[in-house]
Amino acid sequence: MLTKLIKHEFKATSRILLPLYLVLAVFTIINRLNFNFDQLQESFPLLHGLILSGYVLSLIAMFVVTFVILIIRFYKNLTSEEGYLMFTLPVTPRQLINSKLLVASVWTVLSFIAVIVSLFFLVIFPGEMHEFLRVIKDVRENLTESFGSYGILFIIEIIIVVILSILNDLLKIYLSIAIGQLINGHKLIGSIGAYIGINIVIQIITTILLTIAGFAYQTYANPMDIPRSFFPIMILLLLLLNIVYYEVTNYLFKNKLNLE
Amino acid sequence: MNAILECKSVSKKFGNLTALSNVNLTLERGRIVGLLGPNGSGKTTLIKLINGLLVPTEGTLLIDGNKPGPETKEVVSYLPDKTYLPEWMRISDAIEFYKDFYGNFDEAKARDMLARLQLDPSRRLKALSKGTKEKVHLILVMSRKADLYCLDEPIGGVDPAARDYILNTIITNYNENATVLISTHLIADIENVLDDVIFIRNGQITLQSSVDEIRFQEGKSIDTLFREVFKC
Repeated sequence: MLTKLIKHEFKATSRILLPLYLVLAVFTIINRLNFNFDQLQESFPLLHGLILSGYVLSLIAMFVVTFVILIIRFYKNLTSEEGYLMFTLPVTPRQLINSKLLVASVWTVLSFIAVIVSLFFLVIFPGEMHEFLRVIKDVRENLTESFGSYGILFIIEIIIVVILSILNDLLKIYLSIAIGQLINGHKLIGSIGAYIGINIVIQIITTILLTIAGFAYQTYANPMDIPRSFFPIMILLLLLLNIVYYEVTNYLFKNKLNLE
Repeated sequence: MNAILECKSVSKKFGNLTALSNVNLTLERGRIVGLLGPNGSGKTTLIKLINGLLVPTEGTLLIDGNKPGPETKEVVSYLPDKTYLPEWMRISDAIEFYKDFYGNFDEAKARDMLARLQLDPSRRLKALSKGTKEKVHLILVMSRKADLYCLDEPIGGVDPAARDYILNTIITNYNENATVLISTHLIADIENVLDDVIFIRNGQITLQSSVDEIRFQEGKSIDTLFREVFKC
């Protein structure tokens, strides 16, 4: 059933999100051509500027539109009248959340990849490929220099932190919506209020934790501590927070669903 | 065989408001049951509890011996009193959706009923009138071979001709072991198809009886009885 939910989730979201990729692709190609023909820049500076700003806008839109569409989809599909359809399917609320979380994460990662690929395609010319490879090599050498044998661990930890942060952003919004839907007639305002409330609580906790951490790390400032203890603690905290967000969301949808 | 629906001392409270209080109710298989009561009497709350959209504050509610969950949702076919399908879908998308999630969905039957009502499956739901959407909803819901159909105000927004077709669909399109629970206040229109009636008022069941019994004992139609019992 989870696979079916995921399939239909992709179907419903790609309808709006795929055209975004098409727009980015078109702007990327136009700008690449634009760069290749220097005459255009000299003879039509206005056109050149328009093409470039269109490209920048499409890069921003890639992130913003993806994020907004994913939030609207979750809100509308589960807490509006469509909720009558979704919550009476022979699936558990957990499966509903899982399908949405997975598909939303994939779209978020894809939007990052699309932007990176586009930028890469735009600025890298065939002759400069070795230059690019050299930069990568430099980064690797710097990592080994700073973190020694922990260089690889450092990279793995960064990837985990990025993934957990994406999940964290999404789950925080899911929880806000699950709380907001409890308020009859003001679900949207309620969700926004819940989001602000959660952020304030997290802010307070983080400040306290950072203050404690500040004291603890004062004594020995060693770059090795980043992969050895700073990142592991951060991963643990993110994981803990994600589990709390997820479980409370699931509890609310299972026991306190309030469709109008 | 378990009763298709069994409510044992079911209560549902929303804060201070009691929507259902101490409901004891058993529905047998193979019956068409009218759930009748004025607005705000608890009809929709009861139907939402059966479909797992609400959780009882007290008591237990069993469908074929199981608490509401994925297994019961597989055998209960629910028509909410809302336009619940995503507006961007075409009718054919909605058919695919039902086919994917419900093993008991009969696609041929749905397409046949659509053709009968001259509804083109390639049309988008967004472009349909309210009454037409209700027809599509009802066709999807009745095309499932379910054990319990819960129809919440199924004929409210459609014209009398379509109303007849829909009622006919309801009585001819379900198997003998299935029970149909219809909530409505348009009693005169559905009276003839009902086997049993349940009167509900202020969250309490005030009467559960077969239609024949009422006609025999009281000597009046359900519509007349309803108007007397719920006189304002």
